[in-house]
Amino acid sequence: MRLPNLQWVAAMKIKLFERPKGRGDLALLACVAGMAAFGCVMVYSASYYAGEVGYGDRFYFAGKQIAGAVAGLAAMAAAAFFPYKRLAALKVPLAVLSLVMLALVFVPGVGVTNYGATRWIGFGAFTVQPSEIAKYAFVLFAAAHFSGHYAAARSIKGVAPVLGLGVAFCALIIAEPNMSITMCVALLMLAMVFLSGTNMKTFAFMLIPCVVAVPVLIALEPYRLQRLSAFIDPWASPRGEGYQLIQSLYALGNGGMFGVGLFNSTQKYRFLPFAESDFILSVIGEELGFIGIFLFFVVCLFIVWRGIAIARRCGDAFGYLLAAGITLVYGIQVIVNALVVSGMIPPTGLPLPLVSSGNTSLIITMTSMGVLYNVSANN
Amino acid sequence: MLLAITFLFCVIALRFFWVQVVDGGELVVRAEDQWNREIPVVAARGRIYDRNGRLLAGNAQSFSVFVRPGSVTDKEHAARVLAELFGVDEETLLKKLTDGGVSELTVARQADKASVEKLIGFDIDGVYFSADNKRVYPYGDVLCQVLGFTSGDGAGLSGMEKQYDKVLGGTDGQIMYTTDIVGNETEDTKIVYRSAVPGDDIKLTIDLDIQLSAEQAVREVYLSTGAKSASCIVLDPSNFDILAMVNCPSYDLNDVPRDEPQKLNALSRNVLVSDIYEPGSTFKILTAAVDLQEYLNGNGSAYSPTRVFNGSRTRSVDGTTIKCWSDHANGKHSNQTLAQALNNSCNPCFTDIALALGKDLFYEYLSAFGLGNVTGIDFSGEALGMLVPQSLVRDCDLARIGFGQTVAVTALQLACAAASAVNGGNYYVPHILKSVKPSDGGAEEEVAPVLKNRTISGEASALLCDMLEGVVSEGSGRHAAIEGYRVAGKTGTAQKYENGAVASGKYVSSFVGFFPADRPRYLALVIVDEPQGAYYGSTVAAPVAKSIFEDIIRIRNIRPCG
Repeated sequence: MRLPNLQWVAAMKIKLFERPKGRGDLALLACVAGMAAFGCVMVYSASYYAGEVGYGDRFYFAGKQIAGAVAGLAAMAAAAFFPYKRLAALKVPLAVLSLVMLALVFVPGVGVTNYGATRWIGFGAFTVQPSEIAKYAFVLFAAAHFSGHYAAARSIKGVAPVLGLGVAFCALIIAEPNMSITMCVALLMLAMVFLSGTNMKTFAFMLIPCVVAVPVLIALEPYRLQRLSAFIDPWASPRGEGYQLIQSLYALGNGGMFGVGLFNSTQKYRFLPFAESDFILSVIGEELGFIGIFLFFVVCLFIVWRGIAIARRCGDAFGYLLAAGITLVYGIQVIVNALVVSGMIPPTGLPLPLVSSGNTSLIITMTSMGVLYNVSANN
Repeated sequence: MLLAITFLFCVIALRFFWVQVVDGGELVVRAEDQWNREIPVVAARGRIYDRNGRLLAGNAQSFSVFVRPGSVTDKEHAARVLAELFGVDEETLLKKLTDGGVSELTVARQADKASVEKLIGFDIDGVYFSADNKRVYPYGDVLCQVLGFTSGDGAGLSGMEKQYDKVLGGTDGQIMYTTDIVGNETEDTKIVYRSAVPGDDIKLTIDLDIQLSAEQAVREVYLSTGAKSASCIVLDPSNFDILAMVNCPSYDLNDVPRDEPQKLNALSRNVLVSDIYEPGSTFKILTAAVDLQEYLNGNGSAYSPTRVFNGSRTRSVDGTTIKCWSDHANGKHSNQTLAQALNNSCNPCFTDIALALGKDLFYEYLSAFGLGNVTGIDFSGEALGMLVPQSLVRDCDLARIGFGQTVAVTALQLACAAASAVNGGNYYVPHILKSVKPSDGGAEEEVAPVLKNRTISGEASALLCDMLEGVVSEGSGRHAAIEGYRVAGKTGTAQKYENGAVASGKYVSSFVGFFPADRPRYLALVIVDEPQGAYYGSTVAAPVAKSIFEDIIRIRNIRPCG
């Protein structure tokens, strides 16, 4: 791969932002901004008690989330005005950066361990979750690769670079460990190759190892099996493996049809672990009821629908793959998170995009939505 | 692709609908366990009063102490302090605190205020306390077998405490509040307070003054005669209110010997109701009553008040010989009418009556007098007594039953039968509960006397009273006489049987007395079991009744007659 020379970068800086050709999908931006604001409210509701007890500050989590949302808005705006085609040039730097950051997680003193998993790298008080960046880096790399080499997707040799990066990412992420983001990346890998117009032979070549990998990975780490059994019958170990899921179901059950009202969650009194992050959907279900959950899904589906529409309308292959990839990252995460929260698949640590507490995910997702807008505005 | 994603969202939405709306109710029921903590509020136990409203059983403030292991920060410290204050084993407690598995432990019940105040001083996280009841009996061992005692958590275990446990117990309440995962109250906790409903107060028919007098008199005779036990029942013949019940030896209700179950079982037994004995001559009251009634009925076999009994000392029945306790020498027990036979307590005369009337007629009366059956008193564990079944009774048995042998009764049975014989012939259901005062401020509910059946006519009863008054004024009951008062009664001295044979030197001395003879209001049955030395009912038991009657006269301010 050819590294971009400095002159090119300098030239790019002069006109870093460009007014898009037309008016883009503003409804998408409005939805994303609204979703982020909704996230701030829900994070506050889910975390103020835990924040007060744990850190003496009701706004411990909500404050961070608001800061993240503001930064995310700025990033989204910037991305909206950044011509997406130029992103193609970043495919290698971003991939390398992601690999470096994912590797840095394992460097003692840099990696930050929480809840038994090393998923963050810390710069002082500031922590970043590299796997969040890696997902998009992968999308970008795959989109740029396949659009640059149109026929690549039809041969095993052609998909090899994409596959190689994907496997590298997966290996690093699974080592953290983070099963769910690994699964997301693997799913993305399949989806990107599929969208690029692959043939059955190549696709099967990819699919089979992925399918085989699941039981192997489960067998590798006993806790995954425990989680799996907890998912099958959480009540068998209500204080052990089944605890998290039971607490989530309690929250949803308590919400019923219409919810107990905003800020009135009972499960947030530290019964429900990760109430403000991975299980914020449980709190939403408890406070706003099934009606709230349903409306939330409608908005999520709207974002996905806009994303897919943008991809379809896009004239160039890069924009198409990029838009579809971004939309997929969002959609897959929402679906996996909802499946976990409602007990349809075993619990994994995956945030609900735009809503869950956690700034890396929030800012990156908003940035990606800005890129999506830019794709829509330039086609 | 959009279609696939939409489909997935629909499936997920359905799943959420299922969890939230369909399963929601059941999930909430399960979850409520973890959201709420309950502190029991122990209902104040109803008090027990005597008939005049004097407190016999009340409550002192005490506390229950709980600990929530999950909320204890320094478990070792907590275990040490709690062990010291409430006398629990430190190691066991610490183990329970560290093991987890339970959300709440009860450390102590009925802890006193001082210990709890010290506990507050230590301010240990996760330790809670709530008000509790500790039963207090102001008179210690007085009336102990009747009052009974409660368990550590305030449930009635014996006596009235058990009999009226539901009335006295009330309904416990609870304080329920929402907590976070470690049991800290949540900031917007909804405290649900279900107040305890205090138990109702009850009044007994017991008259504390008469009880105290009887306790003293019985204790004195128990100590002075070295008897195995001594007991006494005082009742009102006009309605069968139990005025006093004394069983000696006794125990202190405020210091129940819970660690010695056998001793406690013996001491807490209300012998007057639960144990049977051979009454001996006091039973002659009933035989005389039957005879007088049959005489008035015109039964030619009955002995009229003027008819003279055969003066022989012995009777031969079914080949067995029945002797009088007296040797009949030097003209003793000669030319006796029924009144004199009672005065002298001459056994053969009562054999004659029983045999003359025959077993069918005699048993009819015994049944009316409640023999062989419970009286129906509101006290659990009442014995039936022992009466040879009518179909099996032989003449030689009947001959002895006439003067109170070959028959066993409870003291209560005999007292009630005698009371019905002297009160005009009314057999009421004896009772200890006088009234219930509901804790909600409602009107006091009185227990009305229940007439069970008639025994003899008023006329026969009056004749009997006259004769029994003679027993005290000029017969064997002289030691019960009180000048200026019409005391009547009958003594009894029964030999005890052991393993089917007469046990030498073992007697039950008893006396049934009542006054005023023309309208009996107080009837006392005194029983001294195995007195050492003097053993005649006339010298051992009659003075006890006299002492009680004298006190009653003082307590109730009863004027001497004409």
